[in-house]
Amino acid sequence: MSWLAVLTALAPENVLLAGIVVLIVMEIVTSKARSSLAVSLLAVAASAAAAALLYSGGYAATPFPGHYSIDPAGSLGKAIVLALALPVLLMSREDFAKDGQFHILVLSSLYGFCLLLSSDSFLTLFLGLEIMALPVYVLVLLAFKRPESPEAALKYLILGGTATAMFLMGVSLLYGGSGTLSISVFAAGLRSADTMATAGVTLILLAFFLKGAIVPFHAWAPDAYEGASIPVTAYMATIIKAGVLLAALRLFGTEVVSRPTDDLLAFLPLVSIVWGNLAAMRQTSFRRMIAYSSIAHAGYLYYAFLGDGATRLQAVLFYLVAYGLMNLLAFASLPPGNDDVSRDRLDNLKGLFQRKPFSALMIGMAMLSLAGIPPFPGFVAKFLIFKNVMAAGYTVYAVLGLVGSYLGIYFYLRVIQYMFMSADEPAVASRVSGRAALGAGILCLVPVLLVTVFPGWVLARL
Amino acid sequence: MADAMLLNLVLFLPVVGILLLLFVPAKSEGTIRWTTFWVMVVQLVLTTVLYVHYDAAVPGLQFETRLPWIPAWGVYYQIGLDGYNILLVLLTAFLGPLVVAGAFSAITKDVKLFYAMVFLIQFAMLGTFVAQDLFVFYLFWETMLIPMFLIIGIWGGERRIYATIKFFLYTAFGSILMLAAVIYLVYSLQTTTGVTSFAFADLNRMQLPLSVQLVLLSAFGLSFAIKVPIVPFHTWLPDAHVEAPTAGSVILAGVLLKMGTYGFMKLGFPLFPDATRYLAPLIMALAVISIIYGACLALVQNDIKKIIAYSSISHLGYVMLGLISLDLIGIQGAIIQMVSHGLTAAGLFLMVGMIYERCHTRELSAYGGLAKLLPVYSVFFMILTLASIGLPTTSGFTGEFLVLLGAFRSAWPLHVAGDTLPLVFAASAVLGVVLGALYMLRFAQTFLFGAAKAPHAPVVDLNLREKLILAAIVAAVFAIGLYPDEPLRKTELAAKEFQQRVTGVPIPGSAR
Repeated sequence: MSWLAVLTALAPENVLLAGIVVLIVMEIVTSKARSSLAVSLLAVAASAAAAALLYSGGYAATPFPGHYSIDPAGSLGKAIVLALALPVLLMSREDFAKDGQFHILVLSSLYGFCLLLSSDSFLTLFLGLEIMALPVYVLVLLAFKRPESPEAALKYLILGGTATAMFLMGVSLLYGGSGTLSISVFAAGLRSADTMATAGVTLILLAFFLKGAIVPFHAWAPDAYEGASIPVTAYMATIIKAGVLLAALRLFGTEVVSRPTDDLLAFLPLVSIVWGNLAAMRQTSFRRMIAYSSIAHAGYLYYAFLGDGATRLQAVLFYLVAYGLMNLLAFASLPPGNDDVSRDRLDNLKGLFQRKPFSALMIGMAMLSLAGIPPFPGFVAKFLIFKNVMAAGYTVYAVLGLVGSYLGIYFYLRVIQYMFMSADEPAVASRVSGRAALGAGILCLVPVLLVTVFPGWVLARL
Repeated sequence: MADAMLLNLVLFLPVVGILLLLFVPAKSEGTIRWTTFWVMVVQLVLTTVLYVHYDAAVPGLQFETRLPWIPAWGVYYQIGLDGYNILLVLLTAFLGPLVVAGAFSAITKDVKLFYAMVFLIQFAMLGTFVAQDLFVFYLFWETMLIPMFLIIGIWGGERRIYATIKFFLYTAFGSILMLAAVIYLVYSLQTTTGVTSFAFADLNRMQLPLSVQLVLLSAFGLSFAIKVPIVPFHTWLPDAHVEAPTAGSVILAGVLLKMGTYGFMKLGFPLFPDATRYLAPLIMALAVISIIYGACLALVQNDIKKIIAYSSISHLGYVMLGLISLDLIGIQGAIIQMVSHGLTAAGLFLMVGMIYERCHTRELSAYGGLAKLLPVYSVFFMILTLASIGLPTTSGFTGEFLVLLGAFRSAWPLHVAGDTLPLVFAASAVLGVVLGALYMLRFAQTFLFGAAKAPHAPVVDLNLREKLILAAIVAAVFAIGLYPDEPLRKTELAAKEFQQRVTGVPIPGSAR
């Protein structure tokens, strides 16, 4: 391929890279980088637009054969997830107003995410995973709003490292058996009865479970989510989760999961759904609660892999869109508090409807959608996954998963109860929340309404 | 096509109402109240037009709209009127303005949100009734929970949070199992016929083995039974009723409880006829237990809202009994009983709300001799009490009498054939009528007669707004009691179709 073709094929990645370079230069040249938000917004928006263009043009190319290829499905994933990153950037205006580093790190992480979706070999996949994850360890620490932040970052780093080790071990087993680093070995490993291949597949799957916070590999998530600041938590809950799931999707492809892997793939997510929802009931911190909720949602997402290969991409993407939008909507609408700890307390939400009706309605909608209550997008997303799981013949797991999702309704309702049914907490100093956060909320609200009213239209385009 | 648009307009009018409310400032409460009221009145007028134009001689759907919504899954936005839902749609539209007007003086906090939620629940309830596609039905069915959750939780009594969460969790549990059954049902349809569809019409054609039918009917049935509620799934109801504001209780008793019985009639029984016939003795037993147990509990309550709440359990037991009798008269009686209970219970809850606004207590023992203190109130109260008992000329009589007649008509041949159990059930149900008279008259006696006492006396009698609300309900009660022929005619074909589906054999015969 000519260098121009390579440049076109990698347009989303290149735009991000250019953005990173500009941000670094700005960081060096000027002391107060107030415009870094604008630069990063522009870069991510342009990158998402580039990916969307590649998708709508049906562009497919292989710039680096065996390692890196562009296909429409990957471009679609990139476009969607990059677009989801825009509200995160807007939200950061409050916490990281003068911080160019935040934007550099987020853009680098997004760059890693883009690599994931185009990787053909374990090498690229590994690179993508690490480039995506490493900046986040720093981001958790960067907030440093409370003494727990370093502990949270360290925990996340160590467990992330464990996942990397398991992933590499699995890859080496697969490589040892097949002599190639191509990711198609993974799908072949799903089929084969060879012990070494099964061991490799299992290790890689467990690594992905750890990255996606599936019980019993979930312990890092509540600490990391709570220790970080709001935009970083939002980033972890949506973009990183989407990255991990879409990478797993790239590995699985359309391969039908058969025994014995399907037991693992059905059982641990089910435990996650149940445990995540149960543990979330006891939380008093909003972000910790969302962490447990995300553990449960990771369970639904991995359930999607049980289904038929052809509908897998649609189910996962739709779920990620619905889930991501709802999380972002909730995070963007969180009311300000005196400091990070008090802002994060669920009590801070008491009587919110009296103080800020719009925020309360947005958070309420997000909670109901996350709980999977119609007519919100979360319901259609969940319906799609459980429909596929049942069609694949896992009726018992589908019913148990649905019952597990029922367990989650209580704690989502509790948030609504706090906002609408409790008296106003006078102790909270009601600072005016930023316009950027409002913008982020509206940026999420429009697609939410679209998906609510016309789910069929959206599904037809995934 | 223009007719079909009218039904769409009726359905989406509450959404228009919510959008209108968005533009009214939260401070101008009067504008909010009257806007809501007039939108509801327009809805009632349009629904009446639909009712009048509904042709009783045509089987199947009328005013039908069918548009692709999620084409990939075979989900269509399909709505229409038929004999099953026509009366319930009219009832919902009829109660709308009354609920709104009834809340004028009672709701003073977050008025805008309150009326927006009333609109939302009106939308969801109408949608549930007119939906002809299982997916759309489920969407509306679940959407109903959200506004009710907020109405009880925000404007309710002291233990409102406990009550509303209990309400939500109970009903949502049923819904989750129903969702599993819905997915399985549609998946079975897809594998057996190759058609991916949620349309009731397609699902009705399906033949499932009895074992599958039993499981699916249990899942659907649990969801509906919680909503009805049938004993032993009823414990959320007294709490919800007692803690809900008047408007919440009226909506709950007037329409929401009918969702369960409507679900059985439209979906549960016809979709799984073999399982229904297999489980009929059990369902009949539960219905009779509901009738008697509800009545017995109503007999010993001191909280006036609880009396009516438990009486609802008893009255809806008749509906279940009428449906499961699988006799044409019984089925038609069940439909009338649904509407009748919607009117009388709504009226009684409104009256309890009116007295509560004046005296601030719901304790029966705190009252006495209201006939002397509030003569107009007492007249209305007595009429509704008698209608609730089922005195001839009122709607309650038509409903209960037809249900019992149907139950006996279907039980007698079985008795002759050697199976006496249904006859025992039918006979026990008659006991419910006696108990019903007992608890309502005890209520009215303590309440209206004896030494005059009321907290916060002197109390003023009903004002014009309240009189008009109650007069409308009483007029409807007598209309059905005196001219039951008209509603019976509109529902006859549907009742026949229901009977034919569930029994599997076309039985000639007329209800009238």
